[in-house]
Amino acid sequence: MAITAAVATTTAADCSSNRWSMQSLSSALPSLNSITCSSIRFSSSSHCRPSLSLTRTQQAPHLFSSYTGLASNNPLLSLGFSDLTSFEHGLAFVDNGCRISAMRHGRRVPKLNRPPDQRRALLRGLTTQLLKHGRIKTTRARASAVRKYVDKMITLAKDGSLHKRRQALGFIYEKQIVHALFAEVQERYGERNGGYTRIIRTLPRRGDNAPMAYIELV
Amino acid sequence: MARSMEPLVVGRVIGDVVDMFTPATEMTVHYGTKQVANGCEIKPSASADKPSVQIHAPPPASSNLYTLVMVDPDAPSPSEPRYREWLHWIVVDIPEGSDATKGKELVAYMGPQPPTGIHRYVFALFNQKGKVMAGCRPPDARSNFSTRRFAADNGLQPPVAAVYFNSQKEVAVRKR
Repeated sequence: MAITAAVATTTAADCSSNRWSMQSLSSALPSLNSITCSSIRFSSSSHCRPSLSLTRTQQAPHLFSSYTGLASNNPLLSLGFSDLTSFEHGLAFVDNGCRISAMRHGRRVPKLNRPPDQRRALLRGLTTQLLKHGRIKTTRARASAVRKYVDKMITLAKDGSLHKRRQALGFIYEKQIVHALFAEVQERYGERNGGYTRIIRTLPRRGDNAPMAYIELV
Repeated sequence: MARSMEPLVVGRVIGDVVDMFTPATEMTVHYGTKQVANGCEIKPSASADKPSVQIHAPPPASSNLYTLVMVDPDAPSPSEPRYREWLHWIVVDIPEGSDATKGKELVAYMGPQPPTGIHRYVFALFNQKGKVMAGCRPPDARSNFSTRRFAADNGLQPPVAAVYFNSQKEVAVRKR
């Protein structure tokens, strides 16, 4: 409707004078300065009416495309959650109320380049092997990540109750190791409060130059 | 603490096998062409034969005699060292500035055979006061050996040099 009105008024303007009138053009067109400038440059080269109507209809998609729709510039805001338009630090809010930043600031869980289920399986396997062999050689990132879980298992063993034993059985893959651990941990780590492992860095691996480390039970 | 002592402390050699000491002598151990550095990994097949141990005499060269002891503090497994320490080798009366072959082998060399886990193998060098220790007899069994006790019994405290390496069981070739 607006397009046809624009076409009608411009054809009327064309009938009145041969030369273009900037004022009539800009008044006829919707107030989008960039598009009017480009169209004027194009249509001033040729004075034919069909080309004029062509340019007018070509602007129709421009008119609609000026409305950017749901894809906004800030992907965090496009989630459309709260009306928090002031995005200092790029924080957004998720359903349960926590704030998500686009950067890694303060996130301390090591991802080990694996999805969560594989990560959990890797850590379970590493703690099982470390408790079984006493000293294993692995990459530094994995050794540093597995410390927490080994300490947790030894703490469960120090407690010694049935519930803790079952919790340990749910984490460690081999039950012989759990029973052996519960049996011997009191005399071995009875006085020590925490820090049941030690990491010794060693030479990088030949195949991919990965930094390696020995991790052992203290 | 000297720089060379730090790997021994980190690897808990000082603590499990010997006590803190100040290094007085330089000792190099070679398995073939491979030199043993603290914490390096050597396969059991590479260490099946006796290593060549060189003791460097600091000038002025004195007529000291040395005793070399090789033990494994992680036998049979590092998580359960029931047989700590397992004795591998004792050589006494090594003249200064020479090889371990010049000394008298009290306990024959046994290569590392770690059944499970990664084991440490420690070479400890002691300074002897005189020529062969009079009441020195080879220990009865290799298991449950104590380097400290051996040194104290024979008047050898404290050690003058130490080095250790790691070894683990090699993956056996499977016949398909």
